[in-house]
Amino acid sequence: MPPLAGQRPPDPADTEASLLARAQAGDIAAFERLSSAYADRLFMLLLRLLGDRGEAEDVAQEVMLRAWQGISRFRGQSSYFTWLYRIAVNEANRALDKRARRPAGMPIGADELQLPDSPLADPSRQAENNELRQALARALAELPPPLRTAIVLRDVEGLSTQEAAEIAGIGQAAFKSRLHQARLRVRAAVGDQALVSSGG
Amino acid sequence: MGMPGRPGDHQWSQQHLSHYVEGELRPRARRRLDRHARNCVDCGRGIRAMRTLVHALQGLDGLAAVRAPATIFDRVRLAGAGGAPSPHA
Repeated sequence: MPPLAGQRPPDPADTEASLLARAQAGDIAAFERLSSAYADRLFMLLLRLLGDRGEAEDVAQEVMLRAWQGISRFRGQSSYFTWLYRIAVNEANRALDKRARRPAGMPIGADELQLPDSPLADPSRQAENNELRQALARALAELPPPLRTAIVLRDVEGLSTQEAAEIAGIGQAAFKSRLHQARLRVRAAVGDQALVSSGG
Repeated sequence: MGMPGRPGDHQWSQQHLSHYVEGELRPRARRRLDRHARNCVDCGRGIRAMRTLVHALQGLDGLAAVRAPATIFDRVRLAGAGGAPSPHA
């Protein structure tokens, strides 16, 4: 599609392939441009998996460092996004393992998992959904990390099963099994009554 | 009153509600769950609940309101100050 009047056509030097090639040659600015496109989404994923803003910020920095250190080995078998997300899931799991080994294991913060209301949503609908949103946040926070990762990648992030399984580092059959277990647990935690009444 | 259908249908249906809404059941298994849910209040409600759950999770989209911290590349810049990454880093 041709660019609209007043729009600049994309600079060929800024395509993902071009940025990737420059980043792999050691160009930090190109790496930042390439990765910035996914930074907000990646941070949101970490927030959902970790439930703690400070920890998510720390892990996000580590993810970018690992990606920068490993980018020369990225061969493009998956998309850059999938590769970056996989690093993020691995780093989140590492952080959760560390947390579990602490003497008084810090529980995941359900408050951090709650998401802001969309500014476009109908206010009465927002209020109606707020209770369900909070219940979902609590239920997600209670899930064991592998199940939480599955349901966040597939249902919340909306990735395909193939992509989500690749990011989680497991086969599709195992991924689906985790996803179904996660949904059953969340459903049990939230309760059919709350779900059905919210569903209209 | 017992559960409708064959023995075990109820528990099996409850375990497969996610597969059902995902469209992953084979036709025969789908018919089994459909047949049972038609006469089982719990499973009929379970299907609606599971559909709402998946829909609600998909709707948890606060992406527009959450921004990555400005510090996200700080460690990269620090590492980069020492030179480009080695291909074998």
